[in-house]
Amino acid sequence: MNADNRKGELVELKNQLRQLAGSRAPGVEDVKRELYKKVISYMTIGIDVSSLFSEMVMCSATSDLVLKKMCYLYVGNYARGHPDLALLTINFLQKDCHDEDPMIRGLALRSLCSLRVMNLVEYLVGPLHAGLKDSNGYVRTVAAMGVLKLYHISPSSCTDNDFPAMLKTQLLQDSDAQVVANCLCALQEIYLAEASRSDGSLKDRDSLYTTSVIYLLINRIKDFSEWAQCLVLDVVSKYVSSNPEESFKMMDILEDRLQHANSAVVLATIKVFLHLTLSMADIHQQVYERIKAPLLTLVSSGSVEQSYAVISHLHLLVLRAPTVFASEYKHFYCRYSDPSYVKKLKLEMLTAIANESNTYEIVTELCEYAANVDVAIARESIRAVGKIALQQYDVNAIVDRLLQFLEMEKDYVTAETLVLVKDLLRKYPQWSHDCIAVVGNVSSKSVTEPKAKAALVWMLGEYAYDMLDAPYVLEGFVENWAEEESAEVRLELLTAVTKIFFKRPPESIKMLGAALAAGLADAHQDVHDRALLYYRLLQQGVEIAERVVNPPKQAVSVFADTQSSEIRDRIFDEFNSLAVVYQEPSYMFLDKEHRGPIELTEDTGILPMDSKLSNDVLPSQHVEANDNDLLLSASEREESRGGVGNGSYAYSGPDLSGFDTPSPAAPSNNASLSSTSHTSPAIDDLLGLTFPAAPVPTSPSLKLKPKPLLDPATFQRKWSQLTIASTLDHTLSQPAALPSPQPLLRHMQAHSIECMASGGQAPKFKFFFFAQVADSPPSTGFFLVEFVVNTSSGISQAKVKADNADLVPAFGDLFVSTLRKFGSS
Amino acid sequence: MPVAASAIYFLNLRGDVLINRMYRDDVGGNMVDAFRTHIMQTKDLGTCPVRQIGGCSFLYMRISNVYIVTVVSTNANAACAFKFVVEAVALFKSYFGGAFDEDAIRNNFVLIYELLDEIMDFGYPQNLSPEILKLYITQEGVRSPFSSKPQDSRPPANATLQVTGAVGWRREGLVYKKNEVFLDIVESVNLLMSQKGTTLRCDVTGKILMKCFLSGMPDLKLGLNDKIGLEKEAQVKARPSRSGKTIELDDVTFHQCVNLTRFNTEKTVSFVPPDGEFELMKYRITEGINLPFRVLPSIKELGRTRMEVNVKVKSVFGAKMFALGVVVKVPVPKNTAKANFQVTSGKAKYNAALDCLVWKVRKFPGQTELTMSAEVELISTMVEKKSWTRPPIQMEFQVPMFTASGLRVRFLKVWEKSGYNTVEWVRYITRAGSYEIRC
Repeated sequence: MNADNRKGELVELKNQLRQLAGSRAPGVEDVKRELYKKVISYMTIGIDVSSLFSEMVMCSATSDLVLKKMCYLYVGNYARGHPDLALLTINFLQKDCHDEDPMIRGLALRSLCSLRVMNLVEYLVGPLHAGLKDSNGYVRTVAAMGVLKLYHISPSSCTDNDFPAMLKTQLLQDSDAQVVANCLCALQEIYLAEASRSDGSLKDRDSLYTTSVIYLLINRIKDFSEWAQCLVLDVVSKYVSSNPEESFKMMDILEDRLQHANSAVVLATIKVFLHLTLSMADIHQQVYERIKAPLLTLVSSGSVEQSYAVISHLHLLVLRAPTVFASEYKHFYCRYSDPSYVKKLKLEMLTAIANESNTYEIVTELCEYAANVDVAIARESIRAVGKIALQQYDVNAIVDRLLQFLEMEKDYVTAETLVLVKDLLRKYPQWSHDCIAVVGNVSSKSVTEPKAKAALVWMLGEYAYDMLDAPYVLEGFVENWAEEESAEVRLELLTAVTKIFFKRPPESIKMLGAALAAGLADAHQDVHDRALLYYRLLQQGVEIAERVVNPPKQAVSVFADTQSSEIRDRIFDEFNSLAVVYQEPSYMFLDKEHRGPIELTEDTGILPMDSKLSNDVLPSQHVEANDNDLLLSASEREESRGGVGNGSYAYSGPDLSGFDTPSPAAPSNNASLSSTSHTSPAIDDLLGLTFPAAPVPTSPSLKLKPKPLLDPATFQRKWSQLTIASTLDHTLSQPAALPSPQPLLRHMQAHSIECMASGGQAPKFKFFFFAQVADSPPSTGFFLVEFVVNTSSGISQAKVKADNADLVPAFGDLFVSTLRKFGSS
Repeated sequence: MPVAASAIYFLNLRGDVLINRMYRDDVGGNMVDAFRTHIMQTKDLGTCPVRQIGGCSFLYMRISNVYIVTVVSTNANAACAFKFVVEAVALFKSYFGGAFDEDAIRNNFVLIYELLDEIMDFGYPQNLSPEILKLYITQEGVRSPFSSKPQDSRPPANATLQVTGAVGWRREGLVYKKNEVFLDIVESVNLLMSQKGTTLRCDVTGKILMKCFLSGMPDLKLGLNDKIGLEKEAQVKARPSRSGKTIELDDVTFHQCVNLTRFNTEKTVSFVPPDGEFELMKYRITEGINLPFRVLPSIKELGRTRMEVNVKVKSVFGAKMFALGVVVKVPVPKNTAKANFQVTSGKAKYNAALDCLVWKVRKFPGQTELTMSAEVELISTMVEKKSWTRPPIQMEFQVPMFTASGLRVRFLKVWEKSGYNTVEWVRYITRAGSYEIRC
């Protein structure tokens, strides 16, 4: 019905237009205008009016500018689909290109270039040539853009006619700033596309970023319109200055751009400043100080969307230089009326800039948000509190706050807090008493979310000694096995029940049986497999099972960072673009292979916490991940410390040692654990701990420095530079004496061989040792050892690298003899 | 790459296309459908103004009852794109004479197409200055129907020169019978105060709006009582406490007409103004702010079904001044049944849609203290909510002839070669930005 009506209307329009085509009656232009308007409005709402093409073209012979424009718009829209009809328009467009009025020349040229029909390209070349040489600036601006359009239709006819070279000349010589800007746009795009087609033209592209071009642009900066300034500044930011003086000069000239009213200009200027000073660390810091105020102004002015774009950039900078912004923390307090996407970013920034001086205020403020009406923001702010706790060394006050959250008795608050408390305990086991006391009071009924449940179950299993009713709470969970929908919780439940069985067997044996039976019957493959694994392990013997299921843990010093600093650097390179808003480098969302399906996949505001938590649920996995590349993680931490600035944070120092040697709580945990439950190996381990330091063995040929010092970065550098000088195989005489790495570490240390990093899981451990020749100068004479040992078989292998290869045989003997002493004593 | 917009769409709230301008071929024609199905019709609408669907990014903003969507397929400059849309809307408004909404767009769509053609070419922003565009885009808007003779829309001889000229914001040869300048200093105060009455954050963002009706090419110089030693951080700390007259501006931005080099060397704001209305400068201040109002709330929960609210508001500006349109919003729980009020001035009522007690005072004199007390009755609910999370009290107001920063205009000099006399008008007003008091 509707379609018929519309068809009728179209036919009528067609007839009317045809009648008007030849008419020269007075007032005919008004009628035409009305008809054209109708056509355009149909076009806008998506009705295909291409059947009117020839009539529209016939009517277009007019001197009325408005009519002309409507006609151009129509033609531009449909020419592509009707190339043969488009040919009809060429004639009058070409004629208009020679009109005496520059406006009409420009308009016609623009429309001509917008036809986008391949076989009409030949008609473009002439008018474009003429347009670029036109006496009027307006026509030249249109022509410059026209060249780019031509390139998109047919690259070869653009380059063959030497248009890029013409643009280049125009760029350097034209008196009109807008022409220069459009040439710059066009050339940038053309060169970039050419570069991807062939390698030769990379040179062309770089020719835009030469000193002469850049100076020319900078000196004319005030002539450009605000939008052209954005473009020019973007080009300038790609320029690599040859020396600091040059950078200073450029910044001097551009500094007043920071006061420009257009926020886009200010951001573009900031990008130039940041990139110019990238190689000068102290100046770079000063730049941060300089741009702070303009940025904060932009945040609070303009529309919400604009300030969102600005805040995204500020967020990136805050992560790069938290110390600079630390004193401005109040600017990142959320307003009640802020939209949630802005609040989220602000929370992340508050987390990033928290340090000793402002933690108290920030955490107090975050706690306010925990009671926020917006549940999503409330959750984020609790996570933020937790993150700050994980960053800081002094967590006393924060733990108290977190525990208060549990007393708020709101389901989502409790859920988030439980997950955080779990993470906190993994990092700071020394807080277990305080936390467990409160967690014990949480009614398991009020916890419904899978992640929170899993966290609670983990804590019940881990701290079974401190929570008297742990087995009974777990029993409740096991009884409701069938109703538990989340596989994550069921997996965690299996582990917790098994762990509790090692600690309090009489109370839990029945529950273990029930859990294993339910697990074996579970439809979920992972749950089934884990139940089977535990079952078989237990068949091998309780001790063996415990070594696998519940090995002594080290406190986690650094949780894996989801976004490496490398990625952040790449985003930084793309400052002032969507990459910053999405928080991922542009190849992630532009290249086809990285792109998700059309479904709504990208949620730009996800806190990195989410993905991390899913890893955390299985503690064992995490240890393995740590093992994979100890050196790497050590060096990454080094980097993150560097990024923090002058290392004023308390956490970086202690962390490092926490990684190498057990934190104070860990051994005592071990002790209490082994003294109650199990026998021989652990007690040996205890003895190992209490050894008096053995006399330093001296072999006549080689003396080692008692306390050698080497930082992880140097270690890694040396390790990658040096080649393996010797490989030593050795079988430990008492392999079982190594349930955890600590005793061996102590032993080696006593013999002047220090450990850089260690990790792994029974039965395979990996260590990195180093030692230094006694009388060598500070940074030389090192021996580096990678030592892999399998505790069940006792077979071990050491790869030795050394600054001085001559001493390697002697060191090898010493190392093996030291190992031998460990086994025999 | 700056913007390189592939397409710009205007949609109404139902998702109907009002304007559809494709600039490039690198996105499909169905992009607007993608926006409708994946953003408009989901609950994600409004959760984030930048979204990515199938390799294209959608940057959208809502202005009155219209969505403006920019589609880009490259790693575009988001800040620039939003700024462009904001400026474009300002341009349309200046053409329509005020409102920018669905009706205005429907009535002027030909004009909008014409403008879109001019302000962006192949996705790159071109000239957006209304002053210049009005010289050659002269189609009449809705205000005068087409019955009148179509105007000769050819631009005056020098217009095309202006289109790309260096002094893009002012036309030569303007003549006014009466030469007048209007200066408005508009400040908005943002405040966040804790329950204990300590100021958590407080700042003022101000702008100086100008309306110029001046002949020829005048040179203007503006003097303020600020101490524009655009600060190095060290100086800020060493600065003596605010000594009455000078104001420390944290940050200033200027309209492009202001000669920034002269500002940086001589610390004077000198400029050749555009004709008509424009925003001369914006500034931000965080130190030494005079808050116009103090709010002392006390909210007591009496049992499960009763609450006692008592709010004292004290005006601390000069006794001769007064504030207009003062609104105090005190949030109450959702299960509020009714409230009985006692106010010393103005009117108060319970607004169930906002979950607020709204107290309005039309005219609030300086140096006075007004109170509102209310007894709120709650419906006892089945769902036991342990504690009610209290949103902050919010305040709206306008105080004419008062600046929270203390900023004053010391002089405004107009110099033109014909040497005419000018009349200058200066107004001040302070508004509430987000004025929040936790309770």
